[in-house]
Order: sequence, then structure tokens, then C-alpha cells
Amino acid sequence: MKEHIVTSYENELRDLGRKVAEMGGRAERLVADSVTALLKRDTALAERVIVQDKTVDMLQREIEEAAIAMIARRQPLATDLREIVSALRVAGDLERVGDLAKNTAKRALALEGEYRAQKQLRGVEHMSEIAIEQLKAVLDAYSNHDDARALAVWKRDGEIDAIYTSLFRELLTYMMEDPRHITLCTHLLFAAKNIERIGDHATNIAETVHYLVVGEPLSDERPKSDTSSLTKMSVSR
Amino acid sequence: MMSRYSRRLLRSRVWLTFSVGAAAFGLLWLVLILSTLVWNGLAGLSFSVFTEMTPPPGGAGGLLNPIIGSLIITALAVAIGTPVGILAGTYMAEYGRYDRITYAIRFINDILLSAPSIIVGLFVYEILVVPMGHFSGFAGAVALAVIVIPVVVRTTEDMLLLVPNQMREAASALGAPQWFVISRVAYRAAQAGIITGVLLAVARISGETAPLLFTALNNQFWSINLNTPMPSLPVVIFQFALSPYEDWQRLAWTGALLITAAVLGLSVLARTLASKGGER
Amino acid sequence: MNSIAVRAAADNIPNTREKLSIRALSFFYGEAKALNGIDLQLHERQVSALIGPSGCGKSTLLRVLNRMYALYPNQRAEGEVWLDGENILRPEQDLNFLRAKVGMVFQKPTPFPMSIYENIAFGLRLYEKLSRAEMGERVERALTRAALWEEAKDRLNASALGLSGGQQQRLCIARTIAVKPEVILLDEPTSALDPISTAKVEDLIDELKRDFTIVVVTHNMQQAARVADRTAFLYLGNLIEEGPTSMMFNNPKDRRTLDYITGRFG
Repeated sequence: MKEHIVTSYENELRDLGRKVAEMGGRAERLVADSVTALLKRDTALAERVIVQDKTVDMLQREIEEAAIAMIARRQPLATDLREIVSALRVAGDLERVGDLAKNTAKRALALEGEYRAQKQLRGVEHMSEIAIEQLKAVLDAYSNHDDARALAVWKRDGEIDAIYTSLFRELLTYMMEDPRHITLCTHLLFAAKNIERIGDHATNIAETVHYLVVGEPLSDERPKSDTSSLTKMSVSR
Repeated sequence: MMSRYSRRLLRSRVWLTFSVGAAAFGLLWLVLILSTLVWNGLAGLSFSVFTEMTPPPGGAGGLLNPIIGSLIITALAVAIGTPVGILAGTYMAEYGRYDRITYAIRFINDILLSAPSIIVGLFVYEILVVPMGHFSGFAGAVALAVIVIPVVVRTTEDMLLLVPNQMREAASALGAPQWFVISRVAYRAAQAGIITGVLLAVARISGETAPLLFTALNNQFWSINLNTPMPSLPVVIFQFALSPYEDWQRLAWTGALLITAAVLGLSVLARTLASKGGER
Repeated sequence: MNSIAVRAAADNIPNTREKLSIRALSFFYGEAKALNGIDLQLHERQVSALIGPSGCGKSTLLRVLNRMYALYPNQRAEGEVWLDGENILRPEQDLNFLRAKVGMVFQKPTPFPMSIYENIAFGLRLYEKLSRAEMGERVERALTRAALWEEAKDRLNASALGLSGGQQQRLCIARTIAVKPEVILLDEPTSALDPISTAKVEDLIDELKRDFTIVVVTHNMQQAARVADRTAFLYLGNLIEEGPTSMMFNNPKDRRTLDYITGRFG
């Protein structure tokens, strides 16, 4: 791709891309650390995650400022405009990912002490592995403008949703067995929901990558396999 | 040992002195001429100059008939020469701007512009005076017209060429035929310049003597018949100045002053018109 | 859901017939070829923009549409341009009649050295016989349409040269629309104007396109994006790409178009 005649424009675009990549890397790490903290009950790690989320927030603000300034000054068109708008959207998604990781870390702090439910914990671990893979893959697709890879991520979101749905049922069953399990399971439910949301954000980013590369939004409906909201459970004992 | 800068400064001052000196030298003669003219001319200036005709030597009189004669001949020359000049200039600038013949016309016109006026006079003598058998005011007017034409052609063409082409295009873009564009737009835009050109031509011919010598000759008496020799100021000045009679010489000075004043007035008028046109 | 249809509807391009049909047009300045076999359709009551780098031939193309090049020797056009069922490039075409139908506004404002009223009456007097009252009405209507009436109504008899640059350009537009052409050609109409005058002229174009077919040549990409329904990109005398403006500026098909509009050219 030829370079812009105005070198500073070219540099600003490159800086923007770099900031988004940095933000992506940090967000990935936050997600991984928050799940580790949850599973290993590592309170120090959890606290670190909560602090480091602030950096992610700050990066999002910087990216937003830079993008808006570029729109005003450069009046970008076509690919440049999509580049800048995509950076804005991805930064927004990554900031939410950071917040979700922070939320998970907080749950880790709340769960000090009590633990069993090994099967359910493994379910959460499995979900988080896929979510982190998705995130990594889509951020790669973003920096390489790889539409095929983004579409693959987009399609795989169903997997995370399916795991979440079954985890939901299991946790409900576990809670019904013994009321003493309720605290743990409720926290785990929220943690699982967070991870499922992280998976959704990865899919958002995939849609943005497609728009960036092709110039049109994805027209098909996103594959949704999360039927947990439709799960029926008799309330009576 | 002078530095380069102070050497340059010195050289600049030397050249400046030379330039000022040369200008002063030229102006000096102009001032001398004008002051001599005014000194001698004013002495003879009186009301009778404008009311009485040229006297015989030793008598009292004025310059009425040469003044009237000059006015008539000049007016006729302008009437003949101006339309020809303007139309020729219009052809060169508008219709034939890209034609090769325009180059030829411009070249010949420039030659005519500086042709010696006595040759013009001789030419008109051959083609008009000889066949007619006598001198006439009409021949004089024709001779002066031949001098007017190149001046008007030149200024008309130059002024029309100064009108920006975009203005013509804008008029054409509305669907105006070419003659309409020229008459309503180009002439309108160039009118100050064209009128200036005509005024300059008038100033030029006011003082021409040589051509009139062979065509209108002169007339001691009242004459407004173009078919007869007519008096004119330049010729009268020529005749009176060379004579040994004092009162004639005095009248000659006065006549010279009158011509100079007329030319000065026309030049100032032309200058004012040109600047008003340029202000826009 | 077809996203193209959605965008076209959102663009609000009226679905109109072709007004000017340019076929295999080539243009020569002496021996030099400036346009290379252009095929282009210009639609009724739409604004079409011609963009491209300097020397690409967009002004040349515009000036073929009212045969302005005929004023100069050594300039000739080959090919056909069809306007309302007639090829305007044929030798028998009455040029003045053509120019009354196809008006043009130039880059530099060119008011005639007359009063404001006379400037507009000039064109009107060419082809119509109007009474004093009718003339006054037409002048007022033209000036109103060009958003100049309020500023000019008290000095209709003052020289047009006393107006500001932006006002002069609007006067030129008023002069052109007063004779009720069918097509209006605008050759970089705002390059010599300040931002506010530019905005007023763009607003005017938006309003005029309801009744006229408009073709604009512009250097300013953003202006083309704002003002035009369709855009054509020319380069070195060739038509590279043409299409609805939103497509051309969002997702052009040709790499050269993309490079030009994003400032990567050269």
C-alpha cells in the first residue's frame, strides 16, 4: 500500500495501530490472569489485575482522542476512515474486556477460603481457554487485516456459548443439591457470564475487522447458542 | 582598504548621481522651452487673438481663422481615422487573433506609426491634390487621418487584448454571438483605454505641420470650405515665425503656446481617463 | 438484507434518465491527446462530480459539453455527445443555441463591467423579448435563487465589480440560471472563495439540482463527497471509475481511485 503524501498522517495512523495492539496485549493478559487468580485463589494476582485495568482504560481514552483528532484534521475517506473508526470500536470492546476481567478478579477475592466444585471450575477453565484463544486470534486478524481469520473467530463464538449454557445448568443443579454451595456457584456463574461476554466482544472485534477489510458490515445473523435465558427450571421444591 | 559593501555603496551613489544629473539635464531643456514659450506667448495673448483673423504684415489681428481651420481639419481627420482604426484593431484582437495575417498587419502598422509625417503629406499630395488640381482642407484632413489610424489601431488592439478571455468566455457561455460579445462586453471593458488612444492620436496630430504644407497649404482669409486651402495653426506659426515682421512673430509665439496648452490638456485628460479605468 | 440497496436509498439519488450521453469522446490540443475515448452518462436532476489530479482532463471534458473549445483554433473533439436526442458535436450544431441550453460558471468570478441588473439582463436580452416589468421580475427571481437578492436589491444599478468575491460568483450563477438552461456546468466554482461563500454556493447547488442537471469539476474531494450524487474519477485523460458518490468514496473498485482520494497519489 502506497504511503500517504503527508508523512505525519502516515505516522499518526501507525501510532494508532500500535496503541490498539498494545491495548489488546494488555487485555489478553488481564483475562488470563483473572481466571488464574480465580482458579488458584491467588489474591495478590487478583489485586494486580484490578490495578492494571486502569492502564487499559487510559489507553482507550488516548485512542479515542487520537482518532477524533484525526477525523477532524485529516478528513479521512475510504480505507483510512474505516481504519480509524475500527480503532475506535476495537478500543471500546477491549476496554469492556478489561472491565470484565477486573470483575472476575473481584470475584476471586470474594471467594477466599471456600472451594470444591472441581468439575464446575474445570468448566470455567475450559471456557476461558477458548475465550483467550479467540481474543488472541481476532487481535492477530486485526493487525494483519486478515478477514478469513476474523470470520473463523466469528463462527467459533457458538462454542463458548454452548459451554456456558451447559455450565449454567450444572451450576443450578449443584446449587439445588446443597444450599451451602449457593455462594460459590453464584460467583462462578457471574465469572462464567463474564467470560462468555468476553467471547462476545471478541466476536464484535471480528465483525469490525470484516468491515475494515471488506468495507461492508457482516450481513448475516451472528450464530447464537446461548439458550440459558430459555432454561426452564421448576421453582417448586 | 575598502570593504566590498562600502565599494558597492560608493558605486551606487555614483550611478545615482549620474541618473539624477541626466534627468535634470533633460528637464532643464523642457523647462527652458516651456518658460520661453510662456514668456513670449503670454505677451501676445489677448482677447483679439480669438476674435480677429490673421493680419497682413504690420497690421493688428488675431488667430481666429487658423484656430477654426485647425479645429475643422483635426475633427475631420479624427472622424475619418478613428472608425477605421478601431475596427481594424477589433479585427486584430477579436476575429483574427490567431490568423497569420494579423502579424503582417501589426508589423506594417508599427512601421506606419513611426513614418515621417512629411512622407504622408507628399503621398496625399500625389493622390489627392494633384488629381483635384488644388490644395484643400479635405486633403489636409486625409493626411492627418493617415497619421491617426496607426495610433488608434495600436491602442485599440492593445486594450482589447488586455480584456481577460474569461470574460468573453462567460458571455459566450450565455449563448451570445461573437459580435455581441465584442460590442457589449469587450468594448465596454476596454472603453477607457480606447478613448485614451483616440485622445493621444488627437494630441499627436494637433502639432503636425509637414503634412499640411502639401495638402491644406494655408489661407490668409476666412475659409471653412474644405475644397479650398485652409489655414491651420501649425502652418501659420511656420509662416509667421520665419517672417521678419515683429507682430507676426509675436502671433507665432502665441499660437505655439495655444497648441502646447491644447496638447497638455488632452494628455492630462487621457491620463485621468486611463487611471479611472485602471482603478476598477 | 441487501446493504447496497439500503445505502442507495439513504443516498436519496433520484432515479432519473440520462440527460447527456458521452460516447467515445477524444479531445486534442493540436497534436496532443487530452481525452481518451471517454464514455460517461450524466443524469437528469442529479449532481455529477468530475475529480482527478491536475491535468487529468476534467476541465477539458467539461468544456466539451458546451463546446467552449470552439472559440480557439487547434482544439478539436472526436466522438459523440448526445443531448436530448441530438449529437452536439456535429458541425451543424448551432453553438449559441447549445450554450443557451448548457450554462457554465467559471472558476474565477467574471462579472461584466456593468451594473448588477445589466449583468443579468445581458443574457435575458439575447433570446427573449421582455417588458421592463417582466425583466425586473426575472432578475429578481434569478438573484433570489442565487441567494443574492437581499444583498443586492438596494444596489441593482451599482457596478457589479463592487461586490465581494463570493457575491460576484453568486452573481455569475444568477446570470447563468436566469436564462433557464437545462444543464449547468461548474468549473471549480469555489476554489477562489472563502469558506463561508463556499458553503453558500454548495447550499445553492443542493437546491438547484431539483430543477437542473449539474456537472461540477472540483479539486476538493470532500466537496465532491458532500455535493455530488455521482462521481467520476479521471486520470491522464482516461475515465478510471464512475459510480454513486458513497461507493466511490467508501469503497472504490480501482486501486488508483483509492490512492487518489486517500492522498496517496504520487
